[in-house]
Formats: sequence, C-alpha cells, structure tokens
Amino acid sequence: MALGALLLCKMLFIVRLWSLIRAGAPKDLSKPMGSVCKGVVYSYTKAMLPHHKESARLHLPTFTAGLVFHAGIFLSILTFIWFIVTTVFDCSMPQMVTDSCGGFLVATTGCGMAILLKRLFNRELRALSCADDYISNGISSLFQLATAGYLFFHEPLSYYIVASLFFLWLPMGKTRHLLYFFAARFHLGFFYGRRGSWPITRE
Amino acid sequence: MTTPPDSKLQTHLNSCVRCGLCADSCMYYKAYKEAKYIPAAKVKIVTAAYRRFPKKKISEKMLREMVDLLFGSCTMCGRCVKHCSIGVDIPYLVRKGREIVAAMDKVPSSLQATVDAALRSGNNMAIPADEFRDTIQWMEEELQDEVNDPAACIPLDQPQKNIHYTLNPREPKFFPLSITAMAKIFYAARERWTLSSKFYDVTNYGLFSGDNSAARQIAGNLYDETHRLQADRLVLGECGHGTRASRWEGPNWLQTACDFEVLSAVELMGEYIRQGRIRLDKTLNQKIYTLHDPCNLVRNGGLCNELRFVVQNAVVHLVEMTPHGVDNFCCGGGGGNLAMSEYNERRLKTGAIKAEQIRQTGAKVVITPCHNCVDQLIQLNHTYKLGVEIKTVAEIVADALILT
Repeated sequence: MALGALLLCKMLFIVRLWSLIRAGAPKDLSKPMGSVCKGVVYSYTKAMLPHHKESARLHLPTFTAGLVFHAGIFLSILTFIWFIVTTVFDCSMPQMVTDSCGGFLVATTGCGMAILLKRLFNRELRALSCADDYISNGISSLFQLATAGYLFFHEPLSYYIVASLFFLWLPMGKTRHLLYFFAARFHLGFFYGRRGSWPITRE
Repeated sequence: MTTPPDSKLQTHLNSCVRCGLCADSCMYYKAYKEAKYIPAAKVKIVTAAYRRFPKKKISEKMLREMVDLLFGSCTMCGRCVKHCSIGVDIPYLVRKGREIVAAMDKVPSSLQATVDAALRSGNNMAIPADEFRDTIQWMEEELQDEVNDPAACIPLDQPQKNIHYTLNPREPKFFPLSITAMAKIFYAARERWTLSSKFYDVTNYGLFSGDNSAARQIAGNLYDETHRLQADRLVLGECGHGTRASRWEGPNWLQTACDFEVLSAVELMGEYIRQGRIRLDKTLNQKIYTLHDPCNLVRNGGLCNELRFVVQNAVVHLVEMTPHGVDNFCCGGGGGNLAMSEYNERRLKTGAIKAEQIRQTGAKVVITPCHNCVDQLIQLNHTYKLGVEIKTVAEIVADALILT
C-alpha cells in the first residue's frame, strides 16, 4: 500500500514537472545586465543564508526549526526507501544507525510540532493559514514520528499507513513545494541574475 | 489572461507555504501589524483568483479585497521576494492579480486616469505640446544663464542624434530645473542629444495598472519615437518604474528586442565620469547627503553599485540608510500609489519607515534618481518634519560639474 502511494506520488510529481518543462524556459527579450548563471547559483546558495536573508535573521529559531524539520522529512523518505531495499534484499541497518536516526527523527518531529504550535497560537499566522497548512505540517510530523517509532519498535502497520497518507498528500498539499521550491529559486536567480542584482557583490 | 500559465506563473502560484516570515519585510505589515498586509496574504488571494478566473466569476467582495490588497497595500517593491523562505516572486504575482483586476475594469479610477492620459496625449499629465515647448524654451534660457553660453541649448525633435532623452512629466510640470540640470550635464559632456516634443514621457503606468495592452502601447510610443528620431540610444530619465518598464519589460510586452541601446540616466552619468567626459568637484557638495534607492532601479534593476559610483563622485559626505541597497525600504510612493489618491493616508503612514531611516542618517539632503520617489519624499519631509532637501542625481552631479 505504501509503495503504491509512493509510486502515485512520484507519478503526480512527474506530471507537475512535465507541465513545468512543457511550459518552457523563461523568456526575456531585454538586454541582460548580469549573469543568469551567477544569479541562479547565488539563489540556491548564499541568498538563503541568514546574513543575506532578513527573514531568517529575524526569526532564527523558526528558521532553524524549519531546517531541522525539513532534514527530518528527507531522512524519513530515505529511511522508507531503505526499508524497501532491506525487505527486498533481506539485509538490515546496524542498530546504532537505526537508534541515531530514530533519535534525530524524534527531535525533528519536535521542530515540526513547534512550528505547528506557532501557527496555532500566533494570531496573525492563524489568520493567514488554511486547512492545508495544518494538514501538511501534521502529516509530515506524524510521518517522522512514525518512522522513529518503526525504527525503535518495529511496528509496521501504523508506520505504513502513515507513510501512505504522507505520500498521497505530498504532491497535493502545500508539501508540493518539494518540487516548486527548486523551480522558484531558479526563476528568482534567472530574474535577478539577468538584471545584475544578484549575486550581491557589495554588501 | 486566457493563455495557459507559463513556467514562472505555475511555479509561483504553487510555491507559497504561508510561513509568514515575509511579514517583517513588508512596510505595510510593519506599519499596521495586521495579517492582511503580510505579503503571503496577497499571494493567497491571487492564487484563489487564478483558480476561478476567467472560467468562474470572482465575487464583488473578493474583487474589492483584491483591489485593496493588490493596489492599495503593495508597491510591488519586491523587498519580500528577497526575504521569502521559498523564493516566491510576490510582486510578480501581485502584478498578475492586477491583470485580473484590469481585465474586469476595476483598476482604481485615479490610476486608470493616469494611464488614459498617457494613451490619449502621450504623457501621463496630459501636458499640452505648446506648454511643454514653452517650458523647454524657458529652461533653455536658464541653462544659457547658468553656463554663461548663449549657444547652449535644449534640443527638441532633432533627428540623428546620439541620444533620445526622456523625462518624467513631473519635471516640466513641477520640477523644470531638473531638466536644466541634465541639460547642463549633456552640455558639459558635449553630447549630441534631443528631446521629443511628443513622446518624452518615461513613465508607464500600464506596469502598475496591470493593463498589458496599455503598457505595450506606451512602451511602443517611446521605441517608435526613438526610431523616428533615428537616435542611437534611448536614455531614460530619472524614474524608477519608467526605467523598469522601458528597459526591462518593454521588449517583452512588444515581443521584440530593441535595436538601439536603452539605458538609464544614472548609467549615462556613470559612463561620462568614467570616460572623463565630465569632471566633478565633489567639494562643491559639502552637506551631509543620504541616498534613497528606488526599488525598480536598484533591487529590480541592478543599479545599486552604479548609483553609488555616481553619487560618491559628486558629494563629500554620504551617509547610507539602514538598510540600504537591495534591502532598502520603498518610499511608499511606488506601485502607482502616488497616483492613487484613494490611498493617500496609507501611503503616508507606511512612509514613516523611510522617514525614520532618513532621520537616523542625520543627512540634510536626500538624493534619489526617481521623480516619483522625489514626490513621496517631499511629502514625507513635510509630514514628518524632516527638514531635508530632496534632490535628483542629475541635480547633485550638475552642482558638482567643472565647466571648462
């Protein structure tokens, strides 16, 4: 079931990616002032660091929690794939690795829950939010917690149910920014790079 | 509006995670501390509108909200983009939202009147040609007095010159001495240049109204006039959005690359200084100066360093605002807000951030290469009793010129 959900998730992302590719590369007929290449590289790298990004600097705890939370999501996805591999090839992960991963995922779940609580209790953030925000955060946190639980207690049923829900939701909720984040950074780098605004060379 | 979304639009419509971290980057949110002013809230309404329009109807209530949020609560300055945790191009989406509003004929009437005036008369203030010619003649006499040369001139409609120079209509209407300042720089550089008596308006409020057809026509007027005058270069006067419209957006609206060079007055002055075509004595500008970065020239136009190169060659004491450059705060007059009297109170309230920035520098003169910013800064100066002078870059450079 979970594998089917993963395949469906992959298919939906491929459809979204194909739609982006089919729509074509950005076109701009104005004469460039800077380098698109340098702008795109900057967009994916330094532009996201706190000393270049005021929002990260001003909200360092949220920014850090977000980073850890996302690391947890990627680790959970990798762990899921690893479970499939170990099932097919009948091998296992060393205990120390599973315990470390499990421990880390408990911490990343904590970060996800902290972000969710912030959304629930911050008046302005609550006004900005819709169901998707709560579901996406909740299901991503739950997936990490379930992964940690499976690593510690080897209880497959609840884990695979949560994993299936996560993979089904991933391309449909705001979690689809898994794909669009990279596209957005590219477009931003293209725009500011071409205009000579990025990379910032002076400050 | 009926064409399928391109890759950029698809991307940005699907990217916002409503983390709310963009809030503090927006001067409207900073001034009002209300959730509706968070940039992500503007993305949310545009995304919702795109789900409906044009197949389904957008309700009156939603349309009113769109007008208020996308026209009255955003200057499209782009400060939020740089600080968005994902990288959503929020002003791009705001512009797309404005396109929907424009397609439904609901652009605020004052902004629409500005666009209509430009389409009807060739300039957004509908200045009659005779009045413009008289002003230019008067400024030519001022120039002759200033450089003590009766042969000094402000050429009008002269073909086959190197430069077709453009103006913000606020110059002939309210600030004619800024025309003399640029003419003095051309005089010192021994430039071959001309103004057009018909299409001299650098502004393009179609950029802000969301009416691409109007934007295309206004940009096309300038390009066609440059061709008619057989000029080699189109130099855009000191106007942030006008420069953006003609330098960056125009070729895309018209779906053709320019076959002449398009550059801003700031770049031209930088070129003159580097080539030694003008010489400046910065000690002639001894006051404490600060620099306001117009969003469309600096963050969205790549002129951060060039602007500083010119200004630092023209003044002794430059104190930067905090923050400045690509992180600057909009003055509050951008995005067409200066033209929309409906939002005057809000515009002046959000401008408090800029006023405080200016006050903190201790400067006596604020320099800015944008006539819309000049207007807003003059109003902020009056409202917040800053006690400063507001000058364009050309005025500062002209004051520092060594005429030989």
